[in-house]
Amino acid sequence: MPRIDAHLHVFTKASAEFPREISDVWPADREEPVEKLLGEMEKHQIDQAVLVQMAGASIANHRYLLQCLREYPNRFLGIGLVPEGHPNPADHMAELTDNTGIIGFRFSTFGGPRDIFAKMDVREFSAYPIWKCAAERDYVLWLYPNAINAHLLPYLIQAFPQVRIVLNHLAVCPGNGKFSWDAFGRPQVQVTGYNLFMHTTYRLARFENVNVHLSGQYAFSGEEFPYKDLAGWHHGLLSGFGAKRLMWATDFPWILEEPGYGKLTTVIEELLPNLSEAELADIMGGNAKRILRFPAL
Amino acid sequence: MILPTPEQKAQWEEKGYLVFENAIQGEDLKRLQTAFDYWADACKAEWLDRVEAGESVATFYDIPNPLEKDPIFIDIIDYPSYYGALMAFTDHDLILLGPQVRTVAPWPVSYTGWHPDVGQSNPLHIKVQIYVNDVEPGSGEFGFVPGSHKPDAGPYTRPMRQESMPGHKTFPGKAGTAIMFNSCGWHVSMDNHSDTPRKSIILIYEKRTPGRIGPGQFASISDYCQTPERRKLFSLDG
Repeated sequence: MPRIDAHLHVFTKASAEFPREISDVWPADREEPVEKLLGEMEKHQIDQAVLVQMAGASIANHRYLLQCLREYPNRFLGIGLVPEGHPNPADHMAELTDNTGIIGFRFSTFGGPRDIFAKMDVREFSAYPIWKCAAERDYVLWLYPNAINAHLLPYLIQAFPQVRIVLNHLAVCPGNGKFSWDAFGRPQVQVTGYNLFMHTTYRLARFENVNVHLSGQYAFSGEEFPYKDLAGWHHGLLSGFGAKRLMWATDFPWILEEPGYGKLTTVIEELLPNLSEAELADIMGGNAKRILRFPAL
Repeated sequence: MILPTPEQKAQWEEKGYLVFENAIQGEDLKRLQTAFDYWADACKAEWLDRVEAGESVATFYDIPNPLEKDPIFIDIIDYPSYYGALMAFTDHDLILLGPQVRTVAPWPVSYTGWHPDVGQSNPLHIKVQIYVNDVEPGSGEFGFVPGSHKPDAGPYTRPMRQESMPGHKTFPGKAGTAIMFNSCGWHVSMDNHSDTPRKSIILIYEKRTPGRIGPGQFASISDYCQTPERRKLFSLDG
C-alpha cells in the first residue's frame, strides 16, 4: 500500500515564468520547491502526495503546480483554486483540469445565507456553479469552510451526492479573526476548548462521499508534537467517519522546522494508537489512493 | 408536591424515562413561550456573530443566562408537575446543574448523534426536556433507547442515521410536554426535516454530592429563591 501525503504546498520564487501572490510568509524570493519535498518524502518513505495550490487563483498562478504535475505524473495529484467571484468558474476549472493532474478545487465559502434559520435554496448559493461543475466533471472538492459557512454544507452535499469531498485539517471551520502565523511560520487557528465541529462538520459523516484529512494538528493544538490534546478529536472523527474515510497529511512546508516532516509521519500512530495495521495503512495512503484515484507507481 | 405513582416509579426504573403531557399549560405556558421567543430573538444576532468568530456552535443556540432574564425560567425548575418525581428519584436531595434554553434549526442532519451524557459511576443525573412549541415527528423530537440507562444494557454503538438505533423510541409532543430521562441512557435529537425550529428547554439535575455546585453559581437569582427548598435546589447556601 502506498504512503500518501494528502495535503501540502510547494511554490517557487515569484517570477515572470511563475507568477504568484506574495505575502510576509511567502515573499517573492522564498521557495519551497518540489525537489525539497521529494527529498523529505524519500527520507521518510512517502510515495505520493497531493499538491494544493496557494498564492493565487488565476490560471497563471497555477503554472508552477502544473509544471510539478507534468514532471512527476505518477507521484502527485493537484488541487487548484477558483478566483472568488469568477464570472465563469466552469471554464476556469476545465482549463486547469485538461489532462493536467489537477483533480479538484479548494475553497472556503459557499455564498449562502449566513443564518441557518433562513430559507435554503442551494441554486442561489454563489458556489452552486462550482459544485454543479464538479458533479458533472467528477472533480474533488477540497473544503476548509469558514465557520459561518459550515451549516451550508449538507444542503450542497445533498444536492450533489456524487461529488467526492475532502474536509481539510480535522474538519475544522476557522472563525473570522482567529487566523495568525506563529514564530515558526506556521498557520495558527484559535479554537474553543469545546469541540464545536462535532455539531457541524462531524455530523456530515452520514454522507458517504465526505472524507476528512487528519492534518494541521499544529495549528489547533495547545501542545507540542504529538498534540495529545487533539487525541479526542481524532477518536471522534474515527468513530464517525471510520478508518476508510480519513487521510493523513502533513501540510508541508509549514511544518518543516517544527515539528519536522519525519515526526509528522508518525502522528497518526501517536494519536490513534489502537488502529489495526490495515486501518493505519488505509489512513496513511490507502484511502487517498482509492478516493483520489492515484496512479500506480 | 405530586409524587410519582407506582407505575411511574416502575417505568422510571425499567425504562429510564417518563413523559408528562401538558406538564406546563395555560398562562404559564404562554408566559414561557413569550419569554422564550422574546429572548431568543434578542440573543440571535450576537449568537450569529459568535458563530462567525468560531466561538459558538452553528446548528443551535442557547439563550445565555436565562435564569437572569425572566422568572418563568426559574419557576420551571421546580414546576409541580414533574418536580415531585425528580425529588422522589433523588431521595429528596436534588440540585440543579443548569438549564439550556435551546433553539435548534431545521437542518438535513441532527446536530448531535446518539450518546449517553454520563457513565454509571456518576451520581444520578436527570434531564427534563420541555417542548416550548409543538414538536411533530421528524422535527427534532427527542429520542431515547428505553432501558439503556441500566448498568447491564448494551453495548451500544452510534449508528450513522438516528433512525437506525436499535430499540429506540421517539417522543413527538405538544408544547408544554416534559420528558424526564436518566442521562445514563442513550438519547438524541432526531433529524429536523421540517421548516420549523425546535424550541425546547433542557433542565439538568443531579443527586446532590458535596461541592458539585458552589454557592456562587446561581447567586445572581438568590433574591428569587427565598424558600429553603429552592435555596437547596440552587445550592445557594453551600
